[in-house]
Amino acid sequence: MNTLHNTASIRLFVFCFPVVILLSCFTDALKAEEKNSPVSFVNDVVPVLTKAGCNMGVCHAKAGGGQNGFQLSLLGFETLDDYDSLVKEAQGRRLFPSVPEKSLLLTKASNETPHGGGIRLPRDSEGYQVIQRWIAEGAHYSTGNEPTLESVEVEPERGVVNMGETRQLKAIAKYSDGSVRDVTEVALYESNIKSMAEATEEGVVKVHDIPGKVAVMVRYQGKIAVFTASIPLGAPIQEVPTEKNMVDRHVFANLKELGIPPSPVCDDQTFLRRVTLDICGRFPTREETESFLASTDPKKRDEVVERLLRSPNYADYFASKWTPLLKNRRDAANDITSNFAFHAWIRDSLLANVPYDQLVRELLGATGTVVTNPPVAWYKRVKDPKDQLEDIAQLFLGVRMQCAQCHHHPFERWSQDDYYSLAAFFSQIGRKPTGTQGEDLIFHQRGVAQAKNVKSGEMLKPMALGDDIGEISPDEDPRLRLGNWMSSQDNPFFAKALVNRYWKHFFKRALIEPEDDIRDTNPPSNPELMAALEEHFINSGFDLKQLIKLITQSHTYQLSSMPNEYNLQDRQNYSRFYPRRLQAEVLLDSVDQLAGSTTAFANLPPGTRAIALPDNSYTNASAFLKVFGRPNSASVCECERVQSSSLAQSLHLINSSEMKSKLAAANGRAAQLAKEADKPVEQKVNELYLIAFARKPQPEELQTAVQFLTTPVADEKTKPDAKKTPTSKDYQDLIWALMNTKEFLFNH
Amino acid sequence: MKYVRLQFSLVTGVCLAVLCLVSATAQAQLVCLPAPRLLTTMPMGGQAGTTFEVTISGEDIEDADELSFSHPGITAVPSVDKDGLPVPNKYTITIAQDFPLGIHEARVMTRLGVSSCRAFNVGRLPETSQTAANTTLETAKKLELNSICNAVMSRQKIDHYTFEAGKDQRVIVDCAAKGIDSKLDPVVIIADERGMDLVVERRGGMLDFKVPESGKYVIKVHGLTYDGGPFHFYRLAVKNVARDEIVPRMPSIKEVSAFSWPPAGLTDETLKPETEPNNARAEAQKITLPCDISGSFFPAADVDTFEFTAKKGEVWWVEVASERLGRPTDPSIVVQHVSGTGSELKITDLVELSDIPSPVKVSSNGYSYNGPPYNAGSSDIIGKVEIKQDGVHHLQIRDLFGGTRNDAKNIYRLVIRKAAPDFALVGWALHMNLRNGDRNALSKPIALRGGATMPLEVVVVRRDGFDGEIELFMENLPEGVTATGLKIGKGKSRGTMLISAAAGAPRGLTSAKFFGRATINDQVVTRPCALASMQWPVKNAWSEVPSPRLMADVPVSVCTSEQAPITIAPAEEKVWEVTAGEKLTIPLKHDRRSEFSGANITLNTYGEGFDRNKAFDAPLKADASEAVLDLATLKTPPGEYKIAFGGYAVVKYRDNPNAVALAETELKQAQQAATTLAAEAEKLQKQGDAAAKEAVAKAKTAQAAVTKADKQLQRATAKAKPKDIVDIIFSRPISIRVNPAKKAK
Repeated sequence: MNTLHNTASIRLFVFCFPVVILLSCFTDALKAEEKNSPVSFVNDVVPVLTKAGCNMGVCHAKAGGGQNGFQLSLLGFETLDDYDSLVKEAQGRRLFPSVPEKSLLLTKASNETPHGGGIRLPRDSEGYQVIQRWIAEGAHYSTGNEPTLESVEVEPERGVVNMGETRQLKAIAKYSDGSVRDVTEVALYESNIKSMAEATEEGVVKVHDIPGKVAVMVRYQGKIAVFTASIPLGAPIQEVPTEKNMVDRHVFANLKELGIPPSPVCDDQTFLRRVTLDICGRFPTREETESFLASTDPKKRDEVVERLLRSPNYADYFASKWTPLLKNRRDAANDITSNFAFHAWIRDSLLANVPYDQLVRELLGATGTVVTNPPVAWYKRVKDPKDQLEDIAQLFLGVRMQCAQCHHHPFERWSQDDYYSLAAFFSQIGRKPTGTQGEDLIFHQRGVAQAKNVKSGEMLKPMALGDDIGEISPDEDPRLRLGNWMSSQDNPFFAKALVNRYWKHFFKRALIEPEDDIRDTNPPSNPELMAALEEHFINSGFDLKQLIKLITQSHTYQLSSMPNEYNLQDRQNYSRFYPRRLQAEVLLDSVDQLAGSTTAFANLPPGTRAIALPDNSYTNASAFLKVFGRPNSASVCECERVQSSSLAQSLHLINSSEMKSKLAAANGRAAQLAKEADKPVEQKVNELYLIAFARKPQPEELQTAVQFLTTPVADEKTKPDAKKTPTSKDYQDLIWALMNTKEFLFNH
Repeated sequence: MKYVRLQFSLVTGVCLAVLCLVSATAQAQLVCLPAPRLLTTMPMGGQAGTTFEVTISGEDIEDADELSFSHPGITAVPSVDKDGLPVPNKYTITIAQDFPLGIHEARVMTRLGVSSCRAFNVGRLPETSQTAANTTLETAKKLELNSICNAVMSRQKIDHYTFEAGKDQRVIVDCAAKGIDSKLDPVVIIADERGMDLVVERRGGMLDFKVPESGKYVIKVHGLTYDGGPFHFYRLAVKNVARDEIVPRMPSIKEVSAFSWPPAGLTDETLKPETEPNNARAEAQKITLPCDISGSFFPAADVDTFEFTAKKGEVWWVEVASERLGRPTDPSIVVQHVSGTGSELKITDLVELSDIPSPVKVSSNGYSYNGPPYNAGSSDIIGKVEIKQDGVHHLQIRDLFGGTRNDAKNIYRLVIRKAAPDFALVGWALHMNLRNGDRNALSKPIALRGGATMPLEVVVVRRDGFDGEIELFMENLPEGVTATGLKIGKGKSRGTMLISAAAGAPRGLTSAKFFGRATINDQVVTRPCALASMQWPVKNAWSEVPSPRLMADVPVSVCTSEQAPITIAPAEEKVWEVTAGEKLTIPLKHDRRSEFSGANITLNTYGEGFDRNKAFDAPLKADASEAVLDLATLKTPPGEYKIAFGGYAVVKYRDNPNAVALAETELKQAQQAATTLAAEAEKLQKQGDAAAKEAVAKAKTAQAAVTKADKQLQRATAKAKPKDIVDIIFSRPISIRVNPAKKAK
């Protein structure tokens, strides 16, 4: 069977499809009047197997390997294959038509014959009896006249559910003959955020104590429906900040609906530090902070956003976001030219504010050599058409197609035909070797674009996630047609995926989580906001800087991170700013900025900042970057960047030789401060605080710091009021203390 | 079982043998006897009508005594110091006022002959040079608009320049690097006064900058991978140009593929531009054949459709130039027969045309070279269209690299003609094909040692069905130098040119002429043969991609300071006669002037009709050998032939042993002088003479000269120590006449 998964696929499947072992016993799944009609394999038997968990990944699903050679299609998407497995395979030993209850299928399911999965269908369950009847009736694939399932609906589709309450869902299947069936008990249910709500096998949704929106997927035989619950906090809202733009309008409307009072807008210093970190990946300089705080211009916040977006630091920082996702990986020494060129292409495009659709199109349709057309480098790293389609879909459309390579996507509508139709766009990529080992030049190879569905053997023409994009002539590069489709105004994925990804950059949490798993069954936490952002982005001509401006100039972005008495629990409604640790490169640059030190990077000019590093080789070479989770350019998932905290990180900051040498740098800040004998100690402390936190110290902080710097270590000869001139070592200690504070380590 | 064991032991044995071989050759093999190579000039060009000083550097050019150029309009004389003595590696150059602008080539004449060449650019703009480090904003070098700066990039550094311009001025910043033989992949950035980047160019293009506000701007230049060093030189031009002016790029050397363009006799008389819109079939541009069209692959994903009528049986030849015009394109053509209209429209593919294949297999980047590292092919097109049915035809041309690139400079020229059989030739120094993993790609000047024969590999791109044989010949060679072409046979792609210097030939240098000659349609046609060379002596093509390019001319030199390690020649200078189907034994004499590692040289036979002759060994320690040619096996038909034998030998090379004797003499002289001066100083000191102080100083200087001479002797001795160097050894050409076999009665 050519759909066997490799280990990675199995892992992925297990990851994306948490095991839910259903120990359901069927009672009255089918209405009484149906009991007399012939049992339909497709409409009756397969749902039983699905509800019993037989065709789950870890049991008998092909996707998981199929225990003991008995393989069923995942969740019963391929009923014809399942029929063959049950009836024809293994010399038909799984069924015993003359004595149906002696069929291996039933004796295993009821555990009469020892079964690794235990009892799935007790003898007295409705499901057991359905299968028994089906066997007794001759185990036909079709009864000849059964209708086909057309859709499943859930009642209600949405509703307000208070914390701690439950809501019973009802699942209704609709068939081609107009009939409907209540399939509540045989349908499957799954919440998209289990910390907010859980669903039982019987379709009861139980809501926890986190306010916001949560979705419960209802799945029945390949069809899905979604129930969206709104969980209000219900707190009184006295006032919300003024609305600066549509972001505020939608966010504050949602907060009012849920009864979550937002925190107030943050102060100037917090805003400046936050926005400089988020747009440029660095702290504001002391001069920038002083100038900003001194300004009385009411538009100064808007203007600082404009200024930061004009800065090359913006391009550097956002290139460091995209480069690992586009797998700019150094595997061999001669990758350096390709990697530097590719990174620079991204960086320069961002600097020039090339529209996002054009940027993607240039990548997608890249031809030529790496040096003359750097996006060709992506095709050096991602050579297999299957990887190409999967990466493009996940990165630019927020759609994970990996599952559909081998079986129908369990959470989505994507089939293997959809998968290989998308692969067909990449079927006419010609390659010719160049003088650099492992590096091809890329061209469009004339011919009819098509790809073979490995299961059906059918040659499929390009289709974009089910959309017909018309006939593509052999002369036309199909990738360009895909690019046209992606950037069309009504594409449901392209703009959504980007605004969702960028929203997460600024707010820590995407409107759809994970940010690259956009599907009907995983709706946004604020659908109106998502729609408005998409519309704005499309209407702006896919202008990335405009999008960033819209976000960062909103009051939503500028809310304080300090919770009020109600919104501490809020994790998805943006009622306050969610603090996050600085990412590895930013933190390293910030340490250097505060310590007045530099970090040397191979092949790069002295003074190059960590956010401007072109590829992953620098992660491997730097203990700091490694321990703080800089990604290795192996995945299109942002999750490769580790943002969690660890003991190793703390130890590195507190006690590593790298930090010590930075603090003690010959021309470092500590040494400089110690040399500036004429400058008052208070002023020096002020400067350090401005650099580290973009604010002046509080009086008690100033007093503590000055006291620390000027008080000699006491011994019996020391006078009680003795003072000393601080040494370089003293300043090193103070800087060390500052850089180990949470305020330093977090954007807040 | 026995068989299995035997197999196993065989495999083990082979593995061990390979392992031993790999170990034995793990150390880099020295390849090719020393050849002079001019690697840098500073500056890399100059303004016509000016005189300025140039500093050179290179390999084995220490004793260079003459700098010359591919065009006689540039003259150079050695620079002299205040004492009138020549300053090493410095020349004063004068460029005539009416000198042709563009790329010319510089080379030096040395003890070993002429060096490899370096591009030298002549322009109209004033020039400056980087005189101090300008790697920070604070040390930025100020440039005047409409000037050129010659500079060298340092590793991991960014060069900074400033210029001042007024609002709305159009400023062009162009950086020549790869196009003037540099190793630099330049990145050019225009930034504001504070150094904040505004626009960037990393693909070798030029920046076309509309000045937003009057003031000072910064230009930053660095390598794509921040690489640098003396070989990473560049010329930076900053120009203020009119709004609608078409600004040409700075001149550039030509890629090897350019040798086959243009076809002989091509003029612009019938040239017509393509007319947009012509992407869709309905908008096809109507043409009549033959035709000559200029167009561009612009905008992105541009398709140019041309419509013509033709009759069944007609044959047309289509040639496209774009890559050969220096553009990074890959033109592709499809010709289709069109019938019907609307829903009845029927399109039938007639032919697809793309790429001019290399006439010979080009080296892949595998373990060992499996072909020359020169590609004479192109992504352009030469192809045939045979009309299969009467009627309307569409020819669509597109750039397979052009899907997303918007560059109006990606031009093409499309010629559709009746068959005009012809050929284009290019040659290069024959490359060694070593199987020990060595992947050198050295630039090889035609710098002959007395008694040497240097082979050039020559390949042909044939046009429009021409498949006749091509004779090769050269003219204007130095005295004592002869050239013999081993012709390119009928329908073949490869020939060899042998350039031989007589033993003891006088020192000389000429700019030779190199041609191919064939009979086409009963007319004798002569075409020039271009010469290609590597830009750099690449020691290992795995770590540095070789960059071959065309040369401006064919400099040939012969030197007297060294003779070839061995001359293999036929025992007699005559035409060797043999009857078809019989054996010919040719006695060879070995004129040996060096020792060799290894007992034999394995010789292959070169030359049409004999190149399938089995390789044979000739002893390297004997004065004679013989070659046997079995015409029964070779089945060489009667006729006149020229052949040669060639192979590789490891020479125990002594580098300039004469320098040892010279250094010894100089040392003795210095010692004598030092002894004399020391004695005199001692004498004066004893006498308390006032001149004693001066005498002591002189004695000290003399002693320093002794130390210097001693070091020079040590260096010369070390260099003269024998080293194993593998090189190509070719015999003198041999003339053979194959007579028809007598008919059996």
